[in-house]
Amino acid sequence: MSKSLLRLRVNGETHEVLAEPRKLLSDVLREDLHLTGTHVGCEHGVCGACTVLVDGRPARSCLIFAVQMARHEVTTIEVVAQSGRLAHLQQALHETHGLQCGFCTPGIIMTFEAYLADNPAPSEAQIREVLSGNLCRCTGYQNIVRAVLAAAARRRAEGPA
Amino acid sequence: MSADRTPAPLLGQPLPRKEDFRFLTGAGRYLDDIEIARALQASFVRSPHAHARIRSIDLSRAQRAPGVTAVVSAAEVNQWTTPLRMAPPIDGLQPVEMTTLPADKVRFHGDPVACVVAADRYLAEDAAELVEVAYEPLPAVADMASALAPGAPLVDDTLPSNLVSHQRFVAGDPARRFVGADRVIEAVFSQHRQTHLPIETRGCAAVWDEGRQHLTFYAGNQVPHPLRSALAARMRLGESQITVISPDIGGGFGQKIALYREELTVAALARALKRPVRWREDRLENILAASHAREDFVKVRAAVTKAGGLLALEMELVEDFGAYCFYPANYLARVVAMILTGPYKLQDYAFEVKIALTNKCGNGPMRAPMAIASWVMEGTMDAIARELGLDPVDLRKRNMLRASELPYVTATGQRLEDITPYETLERGLAAVDYPEFRRRQTAARTEGRHIGLGICSVVESTTYGSAFYKAAGILGSGHEAAWVKVEPSGAVNASLGLMASGQGYETAFAQLVADVLGVGAGDVSIHLGNTDIAPYGMGSRGARGGTAGGGALRLAADDVAAKILHIAAKLLNLNAPDQLRLSGGGVERLTGGAWSTTGLTLTAIARTAYLDPLALPPGMEPGLEAHRAYDPPPMTFSNATHLCEIELDPATGAVRILRYVIVEDCGTVLNAAIVEGQQHGATALGIGGALYEHIVYDATGQLLSGTLADYLVPTACEIPNFEIIALNTPNRQTVTGSKGMAEGGVMGGIGAVCNAVNDALAPFGVTATRQPFSPDYLRSLLRDRR
Repeated sequence: MSKSLLRLRVNGETHEVLAEPRKLLSDVLREDLHLTGTHVGCEHGVCGACTVLVDGRPARSCLIFAVQMARHEVTTIEVVAQSGRLAHLQQALHETHGLQCGFCTPGIIMTFEAYLADNPAPSEAQIREVLSGNLCRCTGYQNIVRAVLAAAARRRAEGPA
Repeated sequence: MSADRTPAPLLGQPLPRKEDFRFLTGAGRYLDDIEIARALQASFVRSPHAHARIRSIDLSRAQRAPGVTAVVSAAEVNQWTTPLRMAPPIDGLQPVEMTTLPADKVRFHGDPVACVVAADRYLAEDAAELVEVAYEPLPAVADMASALAPGAPLVDDTLPSNLVSHQRFVAGDPARRFVGADRVIEAVFSQHRQTHLPIETRGCAAVWDEGRQHLTFYAGNQVPHPLRSALAARMRLGESQITVISPDIGGGFGQKIALYREELTVAALARALKRPVRWREDRLENILAASHAREDFVKVRAAVTKAGGLLALEMELVEDFGAYCFYPANYLARVVAMILTGPYKLQDYAFEVKIALTNKCGNGPMRAPMAIASWVMEGTMDAIARELGLDPVDLRKRNMLRASELPYVTATGQRLEDITPYETLERGLAAVDYPEFRRRQTAARTEGRHIGLGICSVVESTTYGSAFYKAAGILGSGHEAAWVKVEPSGAVNASLGLMASGQGYETAFAQLVADVLGVGAGDVSIHLGNTDIAPYGMGSRGARGGTAGGGALRLAADDVAAKILHIAAKLLNLNAPDQLRLSGGGVERLTGGAWSTTGLTLTAIARTAYLDPLALPPGMEPGLEAHRAYDPPPMTFSNATHLCEIELDPATGAVRILRYVIVEDCGTVLNAAIVEGQQHGATALGIGGALYEHIVYDATGQLLSGTLADYLVPTACEIPNFEIIALNTPNRQTVTGSKGMAEGGVMGGIGAVCNAVNDALAPFGVTATRQPFSPDYLRSLLRDRR
């Protein structure tokens, strides 16, 4: 299969990548753009580890070809913390011990970055429903849920960031 | 005064973890995140058959495919590597051997038969489809019963039968007890096949340095040094010719211990091609061919008195071990049999354990390899209570060990001490208000609602010492090694042979060392996962990190602290350091019953130790470092009581967890938040196994559960909040007083959930015995009841 030049907008920058049209967005992010914070856990859209934002909405980067991303804006975990300062959810996950091996964590953060922007005061049940799209094998989810509740409260008090 | 001398302000503190920042920002470094220049990608060709002769393998079309550097099969790889021989001197265990790739026949669906190396993973997978293997299918054995039937097809042609291991044991005189018993009660327990399912699949990268004749092998692995030993032996290299580097690991749960055939193939290819080669399996391969776990069938007979006194127990266990032995086949089941009796007083005990080979993926230890034990024992107690019409709590209390009866040597010779099963049970019953639960349960039944309470007492075997390995007949040790160095600037580095996959070692062990040296946790860096840096240790497995690793680290830190205080005494012109201690980054002195600073800092002492050695006490070596090893007791036990309330919907068979209480005593803890996180995760894994996760094969040995839409890992909607009550009775035999933990939650989760379901089923007169307790299984019991 021949390679072609793809143009992608990722984290506010334009990148040109020479890749086959069949190359997954997750692989282009990781291998060509060296944004390895987006993790690949199942490559069939179930585990949620590869979640990124496409035009601000959570999406599974393992189910998207990079070539489909022309005219879209992709956001990855690498820009969630600004100038070394953790965002509310990152800080809350740290404080509540909401991560262990950390492999699923970026996908969870990307999922809730989008969700909390639209839903500033979610219930625990709503958080669990949304979180069910991200598998975590280490934590049993309890501390992740606590972290999202804490982050939502902080976001309401202080605004996003 | 001695407590005062080591104030330990950080011990047990729930400090947020030092490792979090990199994981939260996407800056963690897992295996596939490491950039390696000129690395080629490997992809494996796998058997579509459960059992077949390999008639021929044609690699030529694949070799001509775009981007392909090499395609190899057993013909090449088995020349480059030696077979794995598994033949420890254990009575009843058959010696077995496997080559790196199968040459003559494949033994399970997913068995690797060839490997393609190409410029990228896409091209490697394309070419893998062009490898042509001519198979002659053979009849397969896809379950343990047919594997052990007379005349069954042989999984391993070198063995007389598929019974790869068979042991019997008798303690006391159970036969006599059965004759004298009022009742003999039987119960069966069937646990299904599962897999570890780390969210990061397996993978590795091998870099061969032809000039130095040295291999650098990257793999997320729980036991870097034993992995290096295995690699060296099987590649015919010296141990000084290999560096194993384990980067961050995206979950292990026991799957990342063994040296797998794919890893060895990749390492051999890197050496043969003189090019870096890397491999990351996809999820299908991980579920199909990495490692499976569990799958046992257990039958118990209990001899009891009318009043519920437990007189004797007999257990038969048959385990399905799959096609290949990466561990001695009795390795996992042995511990189930050994610890089965848990917290109960019982000296008349017999067991028989049979392990069958089948045409399925090979088994390995998965978080709590002995997971079934607590369900079997506590399920048996419930069965006895039901049969005798007794309250299950009264029955447990009647037979349970009390504090005054410890230490207690069990029928299999395990020494139980400093455990608190009666206390954790009492605390748990109080937390759920047991009498009130029974009233609610009765009331609910009149409304057509079926709630159940499951109680599971866990006595968790942890931190297996070298004496355990010796007794088990396995070459190996349970010790761990560590070093601690105070550098010339006063910075503290420490290392041990463990490798973390989420346990927060960089934080908890920094706390431990920092307390001994009187500095902050932020001043101590823990270095893991590089065999050239870390001392040779046995790695992370068997809930041993905190106790074995922490013990070694504590001994090394104590040595360094003693040296620091001797230097301090000299610099302060004192005869002896016995009135000195380390605190607040410097040396304090006891004067007039109170500790006050001497003004002497750790930095100043470190500078003296390295850069002004003539100022040291006469005869003292320069530098500030210590290297220690620690061999823990043969076995260390934690204990817990799990209490789970569920609601069963008889119309659908669905089970919903309403409440979950864990009372756990794991001794001294290093970081309470990390311990609690381990309890959550372990219990969630147990619940997932009991209710949802299931590796399914059909009768011909085809895997039917190869995606995460089939193999159901529980999500946030299935796992409840856990209410945890911590008891912390120190173990007096271990260095730090800790007991090891993080597997007991799995045992308790399985037992509590299954017992709760059976409590809810009781009015229907049926008992569920076969995990997973899925809606269709529970419905079938209700539908078919007479």
